[in-house]
Amino acid sequence: MSAPALTRRVIASAPVVALVGALGLTTLVMLVVGVDPTLAYPALVRGAVLDGNLEYTIAAFVPTLGMALAFALPLRAGEFNLGGDGQLAMGGVTAAALALLVPLPPGVAVVLPLAAGAVAGGLVAVVAAPLSTRLGIPAIVSTLLISAPAVSLASYLVRFPLAEPNTGIAQTPPLPEAAHLPALGGSGYLTIGLPLIAVLTALWLYADGRTVLGYEIRATGQNREFARYGGVKVDRVAALALAGGGAFAGLAGALIVLGPPHRFVDGALTAPGYTFTAVAAVLLASARPVVVPLTVALLTFLQVGGQGMEREAGVPSQLTQIVQGLIIVIVAVLATLRARRPR
Amino acid sequence: MYAAELVGVTKRFGPVLANDGIDLAVARGEVHAVVGENGAGKSTLMSILYGLHRPDAGEVRRDGNRIVLRSPTDAIRHGLGMVHQRFRLFPGLTVAENIVIGAEPVRNGRLDRAAANEAVAALSERYGLRADPSALVGGLPVGVRQRVEILRALYRDAEVLILDEPTAVLTPGETDRLFEVLRTVAATGVSILLVTHKLSEVLAVGDRVTVLRQGRVTGRFTASETDADELVNAMIGRSLTPPVPRRARPPVGDPLLEVRDLTVRDADGVARLSEVSFAVRPGEIVGLAGVAGSGQRELVDSVTGLRGAVPGVFLAGTPVLAGRDPRVAYVPEDRHGRATAPEMSVAENVLMGAQRDLASRWTLPRARVRARARDLVDRFSISAASVDTPIGALSGGNAQKAVLARELTRPSTVVVAEEPTQGVDVGVRERVHALLRTARDEGAAILLQSSELSELRDLADRILVLYEGRVIAEFPGDATETELGRAMTGATG
Repeated sequence: MSAPALTRRVIASAPVVALVGALGLTTLVMLVVGVDPTLAYPALVRGAVLDGNLEYTIAAFVPTLGMALAFALPLRAGEFNLGGDGQLAMGGVTAAALALLVPLPPGVAVVLPLAAGAVAGGLVAVVAAPLSTRLGIPAIVSTLLISAPAVSLASYLVRFPLAEPNTGIAQTPPLPEAAHLPALGGSGYLTIGLPLIAVLTALWLYADGRTVLGYEIRATGQNREFARYGGVKVDRVAALALAGGGAFAGLAGALIVLGPPHRFVDGALTAPGYTFTAVAAVLLASARPVVVPLTVALLTFLQVGGQGMEREAGVPSQLTQIVQGLIIVIVAVLATLRARRPR
Repeated sequence: MYAAELVGVTKRFGPVLANDGIDLAVARGEVHAVVGENGAGKSTLMSILYGLHRPDAGEVRRDGNRIVLRSPTDAIRHGLGMVHQRFRLFPGLTVAENIVIGAEPVRNGRLDRAAANEAVAALSERYGLRADPSALVGGLPVGVRQRVEILRALYRDAEVLILDEPTAVLTPGETDRLFEVLRTVAATGVSILLVTHKLSEVLAVGDRVTVLRQGRVTGRFTASETDADELVNAMIGRSLTPPVPRRARPPVGDPLLEVRDLTVRDADGVARLSEVSFAVRPGEIVGLAGVAGSGQRELVDSVTGLRGAVPGVFLAGTPVLAGRDPRVAYVPEDRHGRATAPEMSVAENVLMGAQRDLASRWTLPRARVRARARDLVDRFSISAASVDTPIGALSGGNAQKAVLARELTRPSTVVVAEEPTQGVDVGVRERVHALLRTARDEGAAILLQSSELSELRDLADRILVLYEGRVIAEFPGDATETELGRAMTGATG
């Protein structure tokens, strides 16, 4: 393919169209509500990457990427995992409980809670598999429905059995020093969580494209009947994909808890909306897994920058949620149009 | 003056020239057959006439006037109607509701059901297409559903009716009735464009024939003055090789596939197969005939293991394995639903089943996957731009060749083929038959299910007839179509 042709393809690709469309519409919204875009956008950029905010953006990028994998991996097998919040919270609370209650030697004190968080997230997610294969309840429904009680369970554990005594605040006591994620920078926001999630993302991309399991997951997602006919144990593959997705969510929860402020604060995992930012990022990547880290970076940038914009330009940070929502709508419209176009 | 004309129509999709300066003219009240191999450009041409595609060059005329079609809505307004291969009906609505949709008689802002039923009844009467206006479409046989599609087009005052492969889904009896209907409709002055690749149909019902090959018109004939050989020549640019004589030597050896007293019940406990028993020996093709829904699907799913470890099915003497028994090569009828994942590449589609053999431990090297696919593409002469092309972008015949390439290169001794030449043209059909004969000669035991009796007669050593889940008759391979047809309707003796 020649360079201009490639350029044309990139410009016409769904993510680019969606992003440009969404930003255009957002600008329109700004103008309508009387915000000056020439003030708002620079404030957004400053809020995300300047004035020492870059570290914070990266700190938000790590769990968002984890949640993106939690949605993207099952999606490859044709399963929608919308229960990220529950898996995230259960992963976080499991990691916190382990770090608080079991004295562990250095090193293990970090690794074991992370692993336990991943297992907990995986277990919460995999419940959807038998519900789907045995009872015919689609994963998109069951994961979402299971999520709310899982979040509540985590919240209960933090408020009562694991609560910091005598403070009345819904949070655990600080985790022991040994369980803190090793920091990479001075501020402590940048931890080994970043390289860890980067390596796991690379592993997932490799597994997706170049392993037998990755192939069988994709075949199951593309046409389940075809995979079944080809001898793939589709129920097992789908369950595995859901469990893998849940494990990424659980790990993301554990990473948040073991990072600053090194405790499980009730609501701190779900309130920033990592789960649905991640869903938007994956949909924006439109079935190209390699693009997922980029779209996650972009939406994290918007998310964090939006808070800066609110501080500086007085633009409600909800505006960035509008951008996200518009992105999903535009991606969906493009997908429908493409499906309708006759060959 | 012609009812509809396509003049110098050219349409290009990327590097593919689908239509190259095609002229086609349909007179009033004529049944005009458009034939050609898959990929010859028939569908594109009809899509242009129905407003689904815009031509790059050339024009469409109605009654001599140039018209511009931007959508099917435009086409309908200009009196063009189309019956698609896959019906576009609402199973939960009645016949009348399906027909009037888009132009409903309305009273007080609500659908006037009585008026709709009356209009539909009048329409059926006028064209001799019997259909109960108040029946639910979901409960109707395929032949009647097709009639509803035709009535819908006529209700919208179609004067030119396009039918895309209308007989692909019909039984021989329904096909005959459809042809009567087409003659009746044409007699009222409606022009009919019949897209097909079955030459017998062209000769049976067509007035004139236009043959396409590689996007160009390669022949125009009057049906009564031509014959199948002449049409084949125009379609594929050469004559078909004469049929291979049936092999004289009877198959010997222990059966590779044996079915003993197989009874299969559906979820409601209704028997879909009852006490079916037969055996297929190495080097033998056993044909399976029967009207659709006589238990073919259940039998094939039992034999391949897709129904689980069903008691009564034995492969080389041992019970069938649940899931997908690797000892069976299986060419499914449903090409896009079961046989392929249309959006995956050719390479990844022909990989299915061999992924573990090609892997070293966990990894599946892409180079190896693509090299194997390229080898199959060459050996089975599949025309695809590359092995990375989505298989859904291939023509039906090439996709089918890819499925056969995958299945026949499996290390299997039993081959199950379901409608292996459905929707493919004569050239591919010939090739598919040759492949099955080769597999047979190499000692495979083949179970061939087909609704085309001529195909069974060409290939099978024996033909079993399924009727309501039972094998009610067995014929030698040279049984007449009349004999087989009678048995298919349950008439024994």
